[in-house]
Amino acid sequence: MDKITFLLSEGLKNLWRHKLTAFTSIFSIFLTLTVAGSLLIVSDNTERIIEYLRDKYKIEVFFKQNISDKRIQEISKEFKSIRGVRSTTVITKTDAKKIFKSQFGEDILNLVGYNPLPASCVINLVKEQKNKLNIRPIVDRIRKFSEVDEVNYQGRLINRIETAYQSFVKVSVVLLIIILVVSVLIISNTVRLTIYAKKELIKSFQLVGATRSFIKTPFILEGVFHGLIGAFIASLLLYGTLEFSSGFILSLTGLIIDFSFFNLLFLLSSLGIVISFLGSSRAISQFLK
Amino acid sequence: MIQLDNVSYTYEKGGGVSNVNLAIQDDEYAFLIGPTGSGKTTLLRLAYMDLFPKVGKVIIDKYDSSKIKQKKIPFFRRKIGMIFQDYHLLNDRNLFENIALPLHVIGFQKDEIVDRVTESLEEIGLESKSEHFPDELSGGEQQRACVARALVKDPDIILADEPTGNLDPVTSFELIKLLEEINREGTTILMASHNYNLIKGRGHRIIEIQNGIVRKS
Repeated sequence: MDKITFLLSEGLKNLWRHKLTAFTSIFSIFLTLTVAGSLLIVSDNTERIIEYLRDKYKIEVFFKQNISDKRIQEISKEFKSIRGVRSTTVITKTDAKKIFKSQFGEDILNLVGYNPLPASCVINLVKEQKNKLNIRPIVDRIRKFSEVDEVNYQGRLINRIETAYQSFVKVSVVLLIIILVVSVLIISNTVRLTIYAKKELIKSFQLVGATRSFIKTPFILEGVFHGLIGAFIASLLLYGTLEFSSGFILSLTGLIIDFSFFNLLFLLSSLGIVISFLGSSRAISQFLK
Repeated sequence: MIQLDNVSYTYEKGGGVSNVNLAIQDDEYAFLIGPTGSGKTTLLRLAYMDLFPKVGKVIIDKYDSSKIKQKKIPFFRRKIGMIFQDYHLLNDRNLFENIALPLHVIGFQKDEIVDRVTESLEEIGLESKSEHFPDELSGGEQQRACVARALVKDPDIILADEPTGNLDPVTSFELIKLLEEINREGTTILMASHNYNLIKGRGHRIIEIQNGIVRKS
């Protein structure tokens, strides 16, 4: 028990003894975890973001003149059965006339003597879909109806958003792996500097009969403490930034960024411990070879 | 007992020891004397298994350099106290912590560590300086601390490599006397020195080494 206490206190004291390397190491971990944490928060919220964007996708279908409201309702039901369609809203010629009046303050019948506004149907698309939402086949099926005069949709924009979303998912995973590997190497090299500066200490440990694990443990614990401190600072920074900007994001996009400080702290601390443990173990093991 | 059987060791760039046959009995106090570069440090490094003979073997207690496994070396070293010319004290911890280090390594309980370190500090007359850091001590005090660190784990053998090398004559004699007291209590001591005047006439065995060869024992 006293041995464990000694090793723990050595690890803690080393934080103070190796101030410069501790700072460098904590700073590297802090930067890594801030980037990794941002990625994790964004990934976690991406589904909500893409659902939010998909909620804005709309296909506007304008019908030819002289199509009865009953037929339009029937076609609207058929639109709803198309795969990828969430809901449909029919705007009859009468509805269109009312909308015109509410928007322009004039009755269109008084202006042109008849109602030229076509009946239309607004189609909303599904939000919850993991794969890329492809709008083209939906539009093609709508166009097959002979009653349809014109179809308006933001095809290029939707395609861009969907492609970007899929790319983001792939890139974020690759990026996260690269960040973690690079940080292990950075931490390993930082700890190696500490170890070279402490050659005398290691030699003394060896001469008084310390085993390899006894020599390694304080260095690894020191690395783990760096990881925890780096994770705590990164969590605080991300929490502060999100708290500060969430009101702004909400007013701009209507989107609430979903995150919990303790989940974030737990996740980043775990990541910090793993990368600093791997980094310092690698460094001290190579030195003692 | 320290036993060297036909031991040879050569460094890549030359030097070392050649064909050394030596036996130092339990409770013996022996001096290893020879000029700088004669192979004294090599012989001591071979004895604490920091180096391994290219030919022959070193046997201390049940530990045989030709058979010992790497992971057993720390346990072997726990039986040996080492004293160096340049002290090897750690500047980032105080005297008490430096002396306590071998006990932490072995796994002593906190209370026993405090008792043993306090006793060792009293034995070397530095009990009032336990909170001092090495760079706040004189050369003689640092070397005495080094002796205390070697002594605190109650070793069977003490290997001392030029422990008086950085000390003035008076302090050097005090250190020799301190080691004699330790030897009287049953610890085997092998001490390397290049200063013949310091060790002559003290009634101890003198082993002379020159150019890596033991000339007289």
